[in-house]
Amino acid sequence: MDLKRIYNNKARFVVREIGDELILVPLTGNVAKMNEMFTMNETGKFIWENITETTTVEELEQAVTNEFSIDPDTARKDIELFLNQLVAKLNI
Amino acid sequence: MQDVIDLNIADFSVKIHAESPVELESGYLPFVNKTDERMTDVDIYCYTGIPENPLADYQLVFEAENSEQKFYSIYMKNKALGFIMYDQQNKNEIQQIAYLNEDLSIWKVYNPIDTENIPLPLKYPMGPIMMHYLAQKCGAVMMHASCTFDGQTGRMFTGFSGNGKSTMSKIWADAGNLIVNDDRIIIRKTREGYFAYNTPMFYQDIPKKAPLHAIYLISHFPENRLKKLTGAIAVSRVMAFCIQNNFEKNLINNHLEFFSAMCTKIPVFDLGFVPDATVIDCIHTHGI
Repeated sequence: MDLKRIYNNKARFVVREIGDELILVPLTGNVAKMNEMFTMNETGKFIWENITETTTVEELEQAVTNEFSIDPDTARKDIELFLNQLVAKLNI
Repeated sequence: MQDVIDLNIADFSVKIHAESPVELESGYLPFVNKTDERMTDVDIYCYTGIPENPLADYQLVFEAENSEQKFYSIYMKNKALGFIMYDQQNKNEIQQIAYLNEDLSIWKVYNPIDTENIPLPLKYPMGPIMMHYLAQKCGAVMMHASCTFDGQTGRMFTGFSGNGKSTMSKIWADAGNLIVNDDRIIIRKTREGYFAYNTPMFYQDIPKKAPLHAIYLISHFPENRLKKLTGAIAVSRVMAFCIQNNFEKNLINNHLEFFSAMCTKIPVFDLGFVPDATVIDCIHTHGI
């Protein structure tokens, strides 16, 4: 997974925190995508916020494992699923 | 500038100044304020004749068009906006050029020279665009929604086109409710709470206003089904149906702030409904 590509696309979204969740609104130049917006739960928000220019998937796994007290295998699967969904849904 | 027309839209004052006579479409006429002097929220200055190279030093930032129709294009220079409004009968023909200043308070609208017709400065899509930026300027929002009021409770129904906004309005109207509007409303936050206002449409209706107590995201369903939404899901799903041009971060942030605050005060429900009066009982029993 190319985390740097995700990081580079973060600026395409206006983000707002709602409690433990996030809303992402894409900047767009066309009315056709006007109603598109995305939400993330607490885990998704944590992963999104921890993607920096230099983050690796291994570092994300470690961070998620520590934050949510889950085993590394589960963390890896959750992150992989989340990142795949992120790339597909956000058209990154 | 000779003539000044004061429009009362959502209790905001929009003053139209014209160097030569202009006309308003009939839907705007009930919104003309002739009774009292009010502080102006937005000024619109109307001119005849399209400037040469009107947006030469602006950058294209947004286009409102689909496969069938071209509505308008937005250009930007610093924080000021420029608009090309297209004729809805002939999409390649420019209907108007408009400029909006940085703080969204002053429009300059240029109509083509037409010796046969009096200019309509708010001709669609100019009118709804002006109202959208009026709402933005004044900390309000404009929604694709219907709104009903039974004398005590104001309910907003929103959803995709075809999901039943007009159907829902008719059901509540048949039950004796006031219909604020069945398609487009402005929502304002005041010291007394949130209020929904109708806006001028293509048909005539008097200005209306109702307090807002509940929001329903509607869709047709085999049975009436109500589910309360909270948090980011509620905010994002309601905001999806506001009128928005999401090319600029500040404008999006304003909307996010408005809807985040509103959704903590006004309950939001996902409502699947059968198009008959049983939905009213469902809402009275399980909603607000």
